[in-house]
Amino acid sequence: MSSENSYGNNEDEIQRGPLSNKSAVTTLAQQNEVYKNLDYMLIPIFIIILGGVTVFLVSLTIGDWDYWQDWRDRRWWPLVTPFSLIIGPAVFTYFFWTYFRLPIAGTAITVGYTFGVLISRYMNFHVFAGFPVNFIAPSTFIGMALLLDTVMLVTRSFYFTGLIGAFLFAIVVYPLNWPMMAAFHVPVEYNGTLVTVADLMGYEYIRTAIPEYVRIIEESTLRTFGEAVTPLTAFFAGFVTILNFYLWVWIGSKLTQARWLTKLI
Amino acid sequence: MATVVQNDKSGMQQESEGILSSLLYPKSGSGMPKFPAVATIAILVIGGSFFGVYRWYQQTYSFSVGMDYFEPEFDTYWMNLLYAQLVIIALVGSVGSALVWFSRPDANDVAHMEPLQELSIYNFIFALMAAASFFIVVILAVFVEADAAWHQVTIRDTDFTPTHIGLFYMAIPLGMDAIILGWIWVHTRMPDFQNRVSIPLCLVAMAPILIMPNLGLNEWGHTFFYAEELFAAPIHWGFVTMGWGLFGMAGFILQCLARVRILTSLVGEEGSEKAAA
Repeated sequence: MSSENSYGNNEDEIQRGPLSNKSAVTTLAQQNEVYKNLDYMLIPIFIIILGGVTVFLVSLTIGDWDYWQDWRDRRWWPLVTPFSLIIGPAVFTYFFWTYFRLPIAGTAITVGYTFGVLISRYMNFHVFAGFPVNFIAPSTFIGMALLLDTVMLVTRSFYFTGLIGAFLFAIVVYPLNWPMMAAFHVPVEYNGTLVTVADLMGYEYIRTAIPEYVRIIEESTLRTFGEAVTPLTAFFAGFVTILNFYLWVWIGSKLTQARWLTKLI
Repeated sequence: MATVVQNDKSGMQQESEGILSSLLYPKSGSGMPKFPAVATIAILVIGGSFFGVYRWYQQTYSFSVGMDYFEPEFDTYWMNLLYAQLVIIALVGSVGSALVWFSRPDANDVAHMEPLQELSIYNFIFALMAAASFFIVVILAVFVEADAAWHQVTIRDTDFTPTHIGLFYMAIPLGMDAIILGWIWVHTRMPDFQNRVSIPLCLVAMAPILIMPNLGLNEWGHTFFYAEELFAAPIHWGFVTMGWGLFGMAGFILQCLARVRILTSLVGEEGSEKAAA
């Protein structure tokens, strides 16, 4: 079994026979017309398909930590979110930069994700299952992706994009989303216990398949850690996201190749 | 007389082929292929209506007759739908694949396709992918997360919940049919894809199949040791292979663009001058 890349393939030509290398265009104006036409189709392909795929991957790896307002805790949500979300941007940062010199992967994916997730959350969690919209509103990730892409644009290096961009991508999850979450973290007293507004909403809207023991991670002595928890999580998330970015850039370099299988034996 | 009738039929056939061709492969004033807007909108309307009606059915009958697997109404409204759609999807996949394969043109004709025609077909492939991108969002976002939302307001008593019937036994197999038909069509109709196999397109075609082992594990696991439905639970992690497989579309697009680049290279005097400039 052998496979090869699109470029420079004599063996392939023997298999398939020579193809015509005639062009369909004769003028620069015609060429530009074809290329602009392609842009109209390629832009939605990349943004919307990748957005849809990212909604799916986020569901399976971040899932309930992003579905519910009361699950956005200080330890797991800011860690798992950038670690998992960097996969698509890493793969396609390799693809867009290597083949097109475009530092747009993160932004394209998170914009597409936002489009898909807003439709899904409204249709499914609100219209279908009856949860209030503010309880299931998605987080915002576009700012994280802008930082990643900006570092790629400025440094033109996968190494520095990982080291600086992926780190920034991870540490801003909490501050970026804080304006949307703050109102739900206001303390209230509930039956003599101090809880947040988000917690109270969680008690009121019973979720039948995720009992409380699945959600609560800040238990017993973990509560004694004070304000340092969020920045500490952010820095740890930064370091592991750097490693995950490098891993997925490498996987992306394999996954996005234009390879052909030319013979089976 | 017979000849006249035959000529008329052939004329009508030519006319309808001309209309179809102008819908799928429209050309601009300069003779270059342009975005097939009418065909794309038609695909979006037809596909959107299908998924819209299915979604309406799901919304209407999930909570009224879809909560208890052991009620006769569940059988009527959901299990019959499941059986019907499985048969239809299997037929579409098998008959469609046979049709696309056996109606393939002569390999020599494909190899000698006119450049403008080939470029027009690539244009149509990209338009089809742009339209399909909306259905990817419908399947991977709307139908997947409908399941996530459903589990949080119900107690589950079957593998065949109303949302599973819509997701695992309708939307994903239908997508699988579409990708497999597309795979055969591209490899038998496009000169650059003849007599070799696109590995990234195989990866895309394999993407929905890759989740099948995890689908088995998931359903078995939920009947055995994991009653909760945390969506990001380890028992669900294996489903990510479908998303990762779809990343292969990047390689397929590269393969198409590599050929489009040849089909749009400037070889005349004007092109050489511009290129030099």
